[in-house]
Amino acid sequence: MNQRRSFFVLTAMAFGFAFLYIPILSMVVYSFNYSKLVTVWDTANSPTLKWYTALLADEQVLNAAKLSLRIAAINATGAVILGTLAGLALARFGRFKGRTLLTGLTTAPMVMPEVITGLAMLLLFVAMQTLVGWPAGRGVTTITIAHITFSMAYVTVVIQSRLLTLDESLEEAAMDLGARPAKVFFVITLPIIFPAILSGWLLAFTLSWDDLVITSFVSGPGSTTLPQLIFSKVRLGVNPSINALATVMVAVVASLVVVAGVWMQRQERRRQRDVQMALATNQGGA
Amino acid sequence: MSALRPQEKLKPWTDPAAVPYVRIERVTKRFGDFVAVNQVSLDIYKGEAFCLLGPSGCGKTTLLRMLAGFEQPTEGRLFIDGQDMTAIPPYERPVNMMFQSYALFPHMTVVENVGFGLRQDGIPKAEREARVAEILQLVRLTGFDQRKPHQLSGGQRQRVALARSLVKRPKLLLLDEPLGALDKKLREHTQFELINIQETLGVTFVIVTHDQEEAMTLASRIGVMNQGEILQTGTPTDIYEYPTSKYVADFIGSVNMFEGRLVEDEPAHVRIESAELGGTVYVDHGVSSAPDATVWVAVRPEKVRIDRERPDQLDNVFAGTVKEIAYLGDVSRYLVALDSGKLVRVTQPNTDRRDDRVTWEERVWLSWSPSANVVVTQ
Repeated sequence: MNQRRSFFVLTAMAFGFAFLYIPILSMVVYSFNYSKLVTVWDTANSPTLKWYTALLADEQVLNAAKLSLRIAAINATGAVILGTLAGLALARFGRFKGRTLLTGLTTAPMVMPEVITGLAMLLLFVAMQTLVGWPAGRGVTTITIAHITFSMAYVTVVIQSRLLTLDESLEEAAMDLGARPAKVFFVITLPIIFPAILSGWLLAFTLSWDDLVITSFVSGPGSTTLPQLIFSKVRLGVNPSINALATVMVAVVASLVVVAGVWMQRQERRRQRDVQMALATNQGGA
Repeated sequence: MSALRPQEKLKPWTDPAAVPYVRIERVTKRFGDFVAVNQVSLDIYKGEAFCLLGPSGCGKTTLLRMLAGFEQPTEGRLFIDGQDMTAIPPYERPVNMMFQSYALFPHMTVVENVGFGLRQDGIPKAEREARVAEILQLVRLTGFDQRKPHQLSGGQRQRVALARSLVKRPKLLLLDEPLGALDKKLREHTQFELINIQETLGVTFVIVTHDQEEAMTLASRIGVMNQGEILQTGTPTDIYEYPTSKYVADFIGSVNMFEGRLVEDEPAHVRIESAELGGTVYVDHGVSSAPDATVWVAVRPEKVRIDRERPDQLDNVFAGTVKEIAYLGDVSRYLVALDSGKLVRVTQPNTDRRDDRVTWEERVWLSWSPSANVVVTQ
C-alpha cells in the first residue's frame, strides 16, 4: 500500500467521516458541558461529569434503562432461537416448492416501514386481547414480542448465510458415525455456527435497544423504554442530561460492536496462525 | 500398475459359489426428471477394494451416498452382509464413509474427531481411548492428539479422516475421492498406505474416483460408470486390456480407435478392413458381431512399434509420417499421420540413450501384434 493517496480520496474520506460522526461527536462533547444551555460552552467549569451523576440519581432514567436492557436481552435470545430455526429450515430443506417466497417473506420485515409493522402489531394485540384475553393490555410483553418479530428477520439472514457456507458433509459425517439428527444439530452444527449466533444476538440486542417507532405503538403506561424517555424529554425541552444519556446509549452499542469485532478478529488471527503453523510442520516432512 | 496387488489370489468374483457381501439390486435414483443412477446391479465381495470410476456427474457419488444412507434409492434394494439396508438410516448402518472434503469437525481435536463415532455407540472411555490410540498409530499420526483440524496439513487431515472412518470397524468403508485433495507426490505415497491398511484390517472398500490411475492402483475390481450406468466391471487388467466398449477403451488410458468392418470372420481370427488405416487388420481372436456391421479396433499407444525399416511381419503394418514428438524422459510420445490422414498415437519407452531416434516428418512404419487389437462394437 505504498501508493500515493490522492488528495481527492483523502478529502472524500474526510467529508464522509465528518458527515457520519460530527453530529454524534458534538453530542458527546456537549454532554461534558457545565452550562445548562445546550449550545453555550462553559469554558470555566467544563468538562464536567455533572450530567452523568445527575443521570445516576434520576430514578426515571435508571428504570427506563433497566427496562430497555431487559427487553433487549430477552428479545435477542428469543430472536436468536426463532431466527436459527428459520435459517436452518431455509438453508437445509433443499429446494422445496415456494422456498424463494418463504425466504422473501422472512426478510420482508427488514424492509417493511416500521410504522406499518408497529401499527399491525398494535392492531393484532388489541384484537387478541378482545378474543383470547392475552396479552392483557400493552406493556413489556407486547414490546418484547414486537421486537422479536422484526429482529428475528435479521438473525435469520445471518444464520442462513452462515449455514449456506457450512460444509453439509460435516453433518453427514456425524450422522454416518452414528449420531441422530437432533444430536448432530446440538453437537456439530450449533458449536460451529456459534459465532454467527452470537453476532445475531448482538445485532438483535442493538436493534431492540434503540427502537422507538415500533415500541411507541405497542407500549403501555409504565413501560417506557430508554429511547422513548429520551424522545419525550426532548419534546419538553433539550437539556444537557439528554446529551449524557444519549452518549451512554451510544457507548453501550459501540462497546458491543467493538467487543464483537475484536473477538472475531482474534479468532480469525488465531486460525490463520494455526494454519501457518500446520504448513510449517508439513514442510518438515509428513 | 496393478503390480501393487501381487497376490491376485483374492478373486471371489470368479467363484460362482461365493456370496456377495454387498449386493446392489437394480437400483435407480431419480432427482426430479434427472436419472442419476439407472438400474444398477452390482455384487461386491468381502475384502475387496471396489472402485467406481467415471467422469463427474456419472452417478458414482450418488451410488456411494445410497450405500451410506444419505440418499434413498427411488427403485431397487441394497444389501450389506445379507441384511436389507434400503430403508436403514445412515446412523444405524454398519458402514462408514470418508468424505472428499474429509469433513473433520473443526471444533474438535484429533482425538475427539476420531473418538466421535465410538462415543455415539456408548463405548466406555478407557476402551475408546485405547481404540483411538491404536487406529492413530495405524495411520501413523501419533503425537497430534490435541491438534485441531486447521492445525494439520492436508496429508495429516486425510489420515485423521481415514482413522475416524475406520475406528468403528465398519463392515464397509466408503471412500469418496480419497486422494483427490492431495498433491501428486503425497498421493502416490498415500495410495500404498491405503492398500496396506485395507489389507491389514480386511475391511471391504468401495472407492469413488474420477482418476483412472487412482482406480488402477487401489482397486481389486473397477466398475466404469457413465450416465448413471455401469458399463463394465472387471479387474484393472481386464478394463485396460479388454475394454468392451469404445467409451471404456477411451476413458481408461489413451487409445487409437480405427473404424472398420469385418471382411473375414472366423472363430479363431478376424480381419477388419479400415479405410482410416488404409488396409486390413488381423485380429487373433474371434469377434461376435454381425458381418458387415461397423466395428472399431482399439490399439493402445504403447503396443504400437515405430521403425524406420518395414518390420518383418505380414499383418498390421502401416506406413506414416511423424508429425509430433514429445520427449518425456522415460518415454517418448509420437503422433504419426497415416496416409489416410488419420493420426496415430505411439508411446515408446526410451530404453537406451541414443541420438538417432526418428524425427519430425520422417517416414516410418507402425506395427503391432495381432493380439494387441481389441475389437469393440459399440
